[in-house]
Parts: sequence; C-alpha cells; structure tokens
Amino acid sequence: MLKVKELSSSAFLSISDLRKSYGGLEALRGVNLELQRGEFLCLFGPNGAGKSTLLKIMATLLRPTAGQVRVLDYDLREQPEEYRSQLGMVSHQSFLYQDLTALENLEFYAALYGVNQPRERALELLGQVNLTDRADMLAANLSRGMQQRLTIARALVNDPALLLLDEPYTGLDEHAASVLRDQLQMLHGRKRTIVMVTHNLRRGMESATQLGILAKGKLVYLQEKSAVDTTSFEQLYFQHLETA
Amino acid sequence: MSSLQQISFLLKKDLRIELRKKESLVSMAFFGALILVIMNIAAGIGKSVDVESGAGILWVAVIFSSILGLGRVFAREKEHGCVAALLISPISPGEIFIAKALVNFSLMFLSQLILVPLFYVLFGANFRGGPLTLLPILLLVNLGFSAAGTLVSAISAGTRRNEVLLPILLFPLILPLIALAVKATAGALDARPISDLLGQLEPMIAFSLIYSAAGYLLFPFSIKED
Repeated sequence: MLKVKELSSSAFLSISDLRKSYGGLEALRGVNLELQRGEFLCLFGPNGAGKSTLLKIMATLLRPTAGQVRVLDYDLREQPEEYRSQLGMVSHQSFLYQDLTALENLEFYAALYGVNQPRERALELLGQVNLTDRADMLAANLSRGMQQRLTIARALVNDPALLLLDEPYTGLDEHAASVLRDQLQMLHGRKRTIVMVTHNLRRGMESATQLGILAKGKLVYLQEKSAVDTTSFEQLYFQHLETA
Repeated sequence: MSSLQQISFLLKKDLRIELRKKESLVSMAFFGALILVIMNIAAGIGKSVDVESGAGILWVAVIFSSILGLGRVFAREKEHGCVAALLISPISPGEIFIAKALVNFSLMFLSQLILVPLFYVLFGANFRGGPLTLLPILLLVNLGFSAAGTLVSAISAGTRRNEVLLPILLFPLILPLIALAVKATAGALDARPISDLLGQLEPMIAFSLIYSAAGYLLFPFSIKED
C-alpha cells in the first residue's frame, strides 16, 4: 500500500517529485514526502534503493536532477545557507578532524554554525556523550566507540531542527548505540524532525514515528508507526521489495 | 554571522592543525631547500650564477616545493568526510575557497621565509638586489598560485591519482605567471628600479586577480558531487 499525503504549505519538510539520475541510471524516480515538525521518519530499503542519494540531496551534497525540497520556508536550491543552518547529519563518515582534540572539533563546528559561546556548547555536548574527561585528547587517539559518540555530538552542535541519519548504527558499539538512541529520543522529545535511513529494521523501528520503504528509487510505502503491526513489518517490507 | 568570521574560523582551524603537525610546512621547506642545494652542486659550489639563472633556480625551488603543501590542505578535508561536513554547514563554497587559498598563501610565504635566505646564502654573492626587493613578486605569485592551486587541488583531491594530477593540471595554468615572475625576479636581483619591472608586475597583478576570481566562481562546481 502506498500512502503519500497531499503536499501542504504548512509542512516542516516537503519533497516533491524528486528525481536524480547518474548518467542513464535513475537513482530516484519521483519521490514525494512530507513531514510535520517533530516527526521521526525511518526509511528502510535494500542497497541501491536510493536511500543515501535521497539523504545527500536533502543535505545539499548532491544536486537533484528535478524536483523540490523545502524545509520550513527555505528552498534547498534557492536558500542553501539558511537551509543548512537548520541541518545536522550523521553519516558513515565521522566528519572529525583527526588532528584536533575532541573539544577543538566541537568548538570549531559550533563556531562555524554561529553558535553563541561555542566552547560552552562544545563542553555541554561532550558531557551529553560522556566524553568530558577526553576533551583534550586528539580525535585520532580516541577509541572507535568514543569517536562515534563524538560524531553524534558533532551533528548536534547547532541544535538542528532537521537531523539526517545515514545508517547511524552501522559499526556502533553498544555504548555508542545507547548514546545515539538517548540523543534521538531527547531530540524527538524537543520536537526536532528526524530522517533516518537504515537496513536495520529493529533499530529503525525503535524510535521512529513514521516508517517508509524506498525501493528502486521510489517511496513505495509510508505509514505512521502507530498504524503498523511492527511484528509483521519485516514480512511487509519484503513484500514491498518484491512488488517494487 | 559574517563571511569574514566564517573564513577566519576555517583559517584558524587549518593553521592550528598545520602548526601542530607541521607536515606541510616542513616538507615544503625541506624539499625546496633540497632543490636549492642540488642546483648549487650542479652550478658548481662557490661559483656565482647570473641573475637570470638565479631567478630560474629560485622559482623552480619555490613552485615545486609549494605543490607539496597544496595537495595536503585538501587531502586533509577529504579524510573522514570533513569536506562534506563543511558543505552541509552554513559556510558557502566561496568562503571555503577563500579560507583554503589563504592557508596555501600562508604556507607558501612561511616556506619562502626559509628558502629565500638560503637562496641568497647559496647563490647571492653577485646579486645587487636584496631579498626585500623580491617581496612584491613573491606576494603576487603566492596570490595567483594559491588561488589557482586551491581550485585545482579541490578537483584533483577527488581522484585516485591526486599527487600526479595536481602538478599536471596546475603547472600549465600558472606558466604565464611564473614566466613573468622569473623575468621580474631577474630584474629585482639586478637591483633595477621598480619602474623597470612594471612591464612584468602589471600583468602579474592581472593574472593573480583572474586566477582568484575564476577560482572563487568555479570552486563550488569542483567541490560538489553531481
């Protein structure tokens, strides 16, 4: 069942007829999506479904071939700087400078986003991810789990209104996964809008309020989690992949 | 927040990393010094060189050593996806370009503080013009080279053969600027008045401004995926 709502002007995030082609290959084939403020969408899909492409376009890292993305009243193409000031992202990569300390990394990014008192914000975030005692260690010398927690803190320096997460649980140790889960719940509680793409059905369904399935570049399923039988979602997921 | 502030954050971050690691600066100064020593041996130790040959030797050392720093500044941003983090931040690609060009400019200038005195020690016996007369020429080349180099290093950093592609793309681009600089340097080493060097300095200003403007305008296309 495909459920795509009519786009309204009041939506926090609206994506209309978004398309992306790489040469002859269509990675996205007309994605329509709308989210209200505070919604948490988890998009599932197999490799090559277009999940990362969609997220990269939403992050302004890729130019769409056609279509429109708006967050609040900012158009992604026309007001990219205003749009990006509302954005946070956790990707496969850490986005950390290995030759800066944990504190310097967060302070730099906070300053770049125009955060008032960037040092205080950096220290606050280090506390939230339990890294206060490692503030002066070079990122390169932190363990993988600590780097992952620092990555999560980095994405939150500007207290983003829209947080994009690309397979955020991949490679996380249990501690980092629990920190991420806590941070996501905290952000969701503060009405931040979150879009996460993942293969991991269990992790994805933990906190999301909306569940979507992307297959072959199309959004083939979108439903509120409260209306979904989560115990049979896996079966539903594979059915949609087969029919896509 | 103003563009100037964002550029200064990025510049300070890069210089802090560079001063901590010293990997670009040390390799640039060491490689440049090595070229000067080899040239000195080739010319014959203790023998003087004329101003034209001296100017050529200085610019070979400066340009080849500067390539090492250029490649590193962008390679660092590509590691761990930091360039993507910059691109999704409110800083514009043009501001990233200016900050990176300033980093390259600073690194070139710092390495020249070592290379120029060494050049005078090894070759300067017969030069009538002192090191300070070279300053406007060095600054103009640094401006043009760092602007063109920042653009080309952003393009080449995304390729597998970065270290090969960077000089192959950059050297033809900056050839006119370097040719003018060699001629102007020969004049400065011969202590000719600055009015005699305007024939080279004026087109050097024009080239440096063209490289800077072209770099600023083209940089967003070189750094983003399509």
